[in-house]
Amino acid sequence: MKGQAQMYRDVVKPLLAGFGITAKRLGRKKVTIQYPEELREQYPRTRWRHFLTRYDSGLERCIGCSLCAGACPARCIYVEAAENTDQERYSPGERYAVRYEINMLRCIFCGYCQDACPTGAIVLRKDFELANYERSQFLFTKEMLLEEYPGQNLEPHKGKMQGTIALKN
Amino acid sequence: MATVAATDTVNIVINDVDLQVPKGELVVEAVKRLGHEIPIFCYHPRMKPVGMCRMCLVEVGFKQPDGSVRKMPKPQAGCTLPVSEGMVIYTDTEMVHRDRKGVLEFLLINHPLDCPVCDRGGECPLQNNTIFYGPSTSRYIDIKRHAPKAFPLSEYVTLDLERCIQCGRCVRFTEEISGDAQLAFRFRGAAMQPSTFKLTDFDSKFSGNVIEICPVGALTSSKYRFRARPWDLETSEGLCLECGNGCNVWLDHRAAKLVRVNGRTNEAINEEWTCDKGKFGHDYYNSSKRLTQPLRREGDRFVPVSWGEAYAEIAAHLGAKSAALVGSTVSNEGLFCLQKLFKDGFGSENIDHRWTRTLPAAGERVAKRHESSIASLEHKKTVLVFGADLANSQPIVHLRVRKGWFLNETRVVVAHSQTTDADSFANLLLSCKPGSLDDLAMGLERAVAEAQKTDVQGFASFKDTEKTTSVKESALREVAAMLLEGNASIVCTASIYNENKPVETLAALAKIAAATGAEFNVYAEGGNDEGAMALGVMTGRNTHEILQDCAMGDLNALWLVGADPLTLHPSRRLAEDALEAVPFLVYQGLLECEAMGYASIVLPMEAPGEHDGTYTNIEGRVQRMQQAVKNPGDGKPAWRVFSELLVRIKPGRPSFSAKEIMDEIAATHPAFAEATYDKLEKEGTPLKPVIENFYM
Amino acid sequence: MSDFLQLGSPNERPRAPRLDELDLKFSDQALAELDELYSHYPDKKSCILPGLWIAQREYGGYLNGEAIAEVAYHLKRSYAEVEGVATFYSMYNTVHAVGKHMIEVCTCLSCQVCGAYPVAEYLKKKLGVGFGETTEDGVFTLHEVECLNACDRAPVLQVGSSYHGPVDEKSIDALLENLRAQEESTVIQMANDIVKVQTGPLKSK
Repeated sequence: MKGQAQMYRDVVKPLLAGFGITAKRLGRKKVTIQYPEELREQYPRTRWRHFLTRYDSGLERCIGCSLCAGACPARCIYVEAAENTDQERYSPGERYAVRYEINMLRCIFCGYCQDACPTGAIVLRKDFELANYERSQFLFTKEMLLEEYPGQNLEPHKGKMQGTIALKN
Repeated sequence: MATVAATDTVNIVINDVDLQVPKGELVVEAVKRLGHEIPIFCYHPRMKPVGMCRMCLVEVGFKQPDGSVRKMPKPQAGCTLPVSEGMVIYTDTEMVHRDRKGVLEFLLINHPLDCPVCDRGGECPLQNNTIFYGPSTSRYIDIKRHAPKAFPLSEYVTLDLERCIQCGRCVRFTEEISGDAQLAFRFRGAAMQPSTFKLTDFDSKFSGNVIEICPVGALTSSKYRFRARPWDLETSEGLCLECGNGCNVWLDHRAAKLVRVNGRTNEAINEEWTCDKGKFGHDYYNSSKRLTQPLRREGDRFVPVSWGEAYAEIAAHLGAKSAALVGSTVSNEGLFCLQKLFKDGFGSENIDHRWTRTLPAAGERVAKRHESSIASLEHKKTVLVFGADLANSQPIVHLRVRKGWFLNETRVVVAHSQTTDADSFANLLLSCKPGSLDDLAMGLERAVAEAQKTDVQGFASFKDTEKTTSVKESALREVAAMLLEGNASIVCTASIYNENKPVETLAALAKIAAATGAEFNVYAEGGNDEGAMALGVMTGRNTHEILQDCAMGDLNALWLVGADPLTLHPSRRLAEDALEAVPFLVYQGLLECEAMGYASIVLPMEAPGEHDGTYTNIEGRVQRMQQAVKNPGDGKPAWRVFSELLVRIKPGRPSFSAKEIMDEIAATHPAFAEATYDKLEKEGTPLKPVIENFYM
Repeated sequence: MSDFLQLGSPNERPRAPRLDELDLKFSDQALAELDELYSHYPDKKSCILPGLWIAQREYGGYLNGEAIAEVAYHLKRSYAEVEGVATFYSMYNTVHAVGKHMIEVCTCLSCQVCGAYPVAEYLKKKLGVGFGETTEDGVFTLHEVECLNACDRAPVLQVGSSYHGPVDEKSIDALLENLRAQEESTVIQMANDIVKVQTGPLKSK
């Protein structure tokens, strides 16, 4: 007898309670998502992967001034500048970045570089899938960072589903 | 300009603190004594004040008999106002702050805000002063003055006219310090531009300095253009070895690569200036022709070998019948180890470092070479520059002599067969016919002897001297009279050995010096030539004989230490013959060069800024340069190569560090006794004079 | 002075001529005047201004690079220093060559009130040039200047060293006729007058 009562208390009741919660929630909307296929919408000021942006004219915004490198507390940015010529123009003005590298292993995503940038060239956007298999792949070069056409990464985020999945739930 | 005698002082009050300062000192200097700072743009302590930028405004008043202070109604420019008795200066009042804001707002009206792309950004006085003293916003809404960006004034200097705040530092530098007056303000008002005559090439030997003293980014370096920002750079104390002056420089490097050379203040040598050779001549650090590993000749090509193999090869081939020729950028340590290697290891005495046409006796190493220190030249009453083109071979000595002429009324006499930069300001020019410097020296000796009424027998008459040299008797007598007034200095350089009868010339000059009490200098030319002389790197056969022996086949092996005889030796033909004939040639150097083509073994060397070492400048000042950048390849400092090789030949204890070698040098060479690493002073330690008088 | 900020092409960076490459053009009279000038001043640097007037006369009213270089050569100053002085003052014609006669119209306040702009417009129309330009035949150069200190005669023109005012369209026509007929260049005449004043006898104080 004692054994049955104990079994009821220890096993059956918790089970029922558990299934009860499941049953209670069955009718409600789901909180989880199918991650790789679906992505959550993120907070507006989320800071993840860096991009180098362009002006509407297609010229690069980055002028290679190295202020981002100066502001970076992790010292993970390396900029090498060169001079624009009329034949080969990358950015408006005299100077452009011929090399721009960010060591993503070191980056702490503080966004100081974005703060420091006088032309709004470097921005931290919402692409957060930065995992990789090789350390060398974390050295983001200018080619990887630079968007191909103005506003490329401002297109609707690929993970934004129906615009209804809110993090508030 | 604190050159006033400290005994003559006045009582002033600065920000309610009473103090005494030298009479006539400028307000902008006087406030520094209390640790205050007045923001400045146009004022430079080494140039005459002009009061162009108005940034240094202060409030000034005078103490009245009743104890109150009567202020001048308007602010005063601190850079042009000398202090006087009872002056009361305020640097921190509301009015001063308001005025500074106003001045900065005016200066920024036409100054483009392109700091992010400006090479001066980050180390710009205008930026700093605006942040500390300036307004946060501008009320100016109209279009700024525009001019073409980045106009190259010369190969080295780029002018960005928009950024110029018309302070006149560069213009005054070329007028007062370098003396070539290449820059001037053209046009006026907003159109004023500091530029050269009709925008022709800025042809100056000291043009690089205007880049450093420009308080904005108007004059920037073409070579450093967009290479780095100040916060990217690391900087190390370095020395320039382009000539023997031993200028102190900052070596600015980024990611272990040298990107820029700036002047470093050393009052004993270069003050804060550099010449263009020193500022822009360090490209070889990053040259694509740098040697990076030991090479061995195999047939017509070089194959890389390890240091061990190279050592083995050298040890097998070099012996008593071998010689070494040294270049001018090897450190004292390297020279000493080379001596040891050849003497103890190979049993050969044949080493030399001299490349002039005439090679004086080996005893030259103890001659009087530097009686006047560089700094003392500006206080001389008379300087006789004899047969030397100072601006080319000793730029910093040239600046000192000119400074003495400009500020302290030094009389400069230039005696040369060619035109030199010093001609433009020389009080007296003895322009002689080519190849007649020896006759000129004798003529001068006669003039001195006559002025002193001593025996003049055996001298050529003045008429003969005039015939051979074209210098008139009156001029010689005038120079003699100047020298006899005392406090004079005779300045020659080792280039005199390229002239006719150098030994006789120098002997005559030495006699003149002894007779008139003048100081006598024969300054060395190359980077560490003075060190090589002091250490005696000229035993056995001399350069000329060594090359001849090589050509004749009397020597089995030749080692070139950072030297290319094809460019250094006056006779290229002899050098070619020698390199062709010598059976085993070791070339140790920084860069690929022509002589390397003849080598059997090629060894990479570290550049001076890549290892620890000491160098001796023309006035015998031993200075230390620490490692600033890393060798791009597998190079080794010269001393390490010699020391490691010596251990192979003669087992023993190698030298482990440059410091150890310096201690050894101090123990064996009395002149270097005070020059160990522990004792080296900030400004360098002068060598101890060993033998007083050699030529007499 | 419209081209004062023109820096030219960066790729063409000529070398300044060496002293021995200069083509010296000063006449013997000019050299004598220079020699006399040296006695007026403590050093040769002080002779730059009168030296430039001599050069302006010798080089036909226009101080080009050669003229400036020659002054620098005689006074043993650097080219740049002399050019800096010459370009500072507006009465030295350093920017472009001028015609035989330079007409300077005052458009400052008093003259403006009295009709300087209509006068200037009339001159422009009549000569077919704008301010700072020279007529095609090379006779007239028109300039706009600040106050000529002759407000009592407003609107006033300066031609060479003489003032004309008050002027109207009729008197301008007459003036231009006169100047056309005049053989001698008033620009050079003026320079000559100033040089004469500079090199005149030293007054004892």
